[in-house]
Amino acid sequence: MRTYMTGTAEGAARVAVPARSAAPAAVVVAGLRKSYGAVQAVRGVSFTVRHGEIFALLGPNGAGKTTTLEIMEGFRTADAGRVEVLGYDPGDRARGRALRERIGLVLQDIAVEPYLTVRETIARNAGYYPAPRDVDEVIGLVGLAGQERKKVRNLSGGQKRRLDLALGLIGRPELLFLDEPTTGFDPNARHEAWDVICGLRGAGVTIMLTTHYMDEAQALADRVAVMAGGQIVAEGTPSDIGGRDTARSRIRFALPDGYTTADLPVDGVLGEGQVSVETAEPTQALHQLTGWALQRGMVLGRLTVDRPSLEDIYLRLTGDGTRIEGSIR
Amino acid sequence: MSVATYRAPRRDLALLWHQVRYEQLSFWRNPQSAFFTFVFPVVIIVVFGALFGGSGRSSYFNGLSALQYYVPTIAAVSVLGSCYSQLAIVLAMRRQNGILKRVRATPLPEWTYFLGLLAHCVMVSAVDVALIAGIGSLFGVPLPTHWPALALALVLGAASFCALGVAVASLIRNSEAAPAVVQLVLFPLLFISGTYMPIHSSALDRIAGALPVRPFNQALLGPFAQHAGVDWKSLSVLAAWGAAGALVAIRRFRWDPRPE
Repeated sequence: MRTYMTGTAEGAARVAVPARSAAPAAVVVAGLRKSYGAVQAVRGVSFTVRHGEIFALLGPNGAGKTTTLEIMEGFRTADAGRVEVLGYDPGDRARGRALRERIGLVLQDIAVEPYLTVRETIARNAGYYPAPRDVDEVIGLVGLAGQERKKVRNLSGGQKRRLDLALGLIGRPELLFLDEPTTGFDPNARHEAWDVICGLRGAGVTIMLTTHYMDEAQALADRVAVMAGGQIVAEGTPSDIGGRDTARSRIRFALPDGYTTADLPVDGVLGEGQVSVETAEPTQALHQLTGWALQRGMVLGRLTVDRPSLEDIYLRLTGDGTRIEGSIR
Repeated sequence: MSVATYRAPRRDLALLWHQVRYEQLSFWRNPQSAFFTFVFPVVIIVVFGALFGGSGRSSYFNGLSALQYYVPTIAAVSVLGSCYSQLAIVLAMRRQNGILKRVRATPLPEWTYFLGLLAHCVMVSAVDVALIAGIGSLFGVPLPTHWPALALALVLGAASFCALGVAVASLIRNSEAAPAVVQLVLFPLLFISGTYMPIHSSALDRIAGALPVRPFNQALLGPFAQHAGVDWKSLSVLAAWGAAGALVAIRRFRWDPRPE
């Protein structure tokens, strides 16, 4: 089921997508606040999602992601701040129908009528939109071909999630909200879902994504914002967020027998049986290290050079001080 | 403004029919809903048929034969089941597992969703009443002859009990409690409303007459007892309860499983 081409290695050139409307941005959120009783779930969040881009909201459970998303989706009302989705106020139910014809939603929990078949469920929702996608096309797109006549209650968790995605896509949305879309998918299914999402971007769909998976944000997002404690603590592209692009490189290797870190030509820290060297000049440091080892006829075991991953940055940004509850999957 | 303003009414009607079709499909595929709305009243009327089949008119049954009395009251039970009980339970369940929240996220207008449910319930009720009347005729109960009065009572009753079902669903927080709450309200109401035994107490009659089930029984009894005319008094009490239910539903109905 590779309907669309993959191709989102980090930093790969992305096709510019023409904006569909004259509006400057698909989504504008400014100074958003929301409290539940004494708990301030969202404390002054602002960001903009441009037409045709994939914007990912990252953060631990309880960071305020879902509340922010649900206000954008019109399920909750903000205490303060401004939200504009495709030029509409999502809280305005009176004009909401026109907005909902142009957006698609994939919510966090799976919820579909158990007794309808896959095809019936999608066909029913297709009838709600003025210009829906073809039902069979969507079934193929999400990888449910061959399951059309299966009752929803007999689907596996992953298949139900695909059905959910199908319901998000059937109305041919300009803007798609994906709240943790691949949670519970096996690795193959996730990569297939990523292909679908990349394909949608190729077709000009703007996507607002939340996820716990850093590799997902890395693979899909044009821009990411990290939320913690109800606020955005960092925003940028996956490759430069949190100073990732300018961060120091890390060289790691096993300390040769009979030597201490004091013997090394560069400063290193010993931990978990490995020496870790942080440097802004990895070429020079590596040259010194390997020269030192070769002179002594030694091997630097398990030698690696890397930069902090998106996950490292994420963990630093959402570290203990700001983590409210729950775990990071 | 938007496209919605210029939307042809024909398209909205088509959408309503579309919605009714899928409600029907979900309903007939669900063995539990089919059981409670059909099997239960059918079993009761068959048992009553076996018990009272031979008995003639009596003053205990207000001058009717026992079965002539029970066919309309059990038909009323079936309408209560498919409109009030089933709707309250299904809506509480759909809310709890997030289906309603998703419905609200689609462009389907809320009124179309509810009108679809109402039309669906009226259709199921009509099938139910026809089934009970048919079984009754096997036991010698003549079919009703005053169809307009019967249709009016059926549609108004179904609509009112749908409104009350939605109202109860609006007041219940968790879906596991729904069947219990629904039955707790309905069971005593059936007993004081002459459903299973005729009421010969004017005090009880007055109390039950002001509650929704008794007027519905009365409105259905007329056409089945071959009385001409429409029981406007009963229908207006029923309509008042329907309006009250609709008011509660409009003010209190929630789509989201989690309160804000």
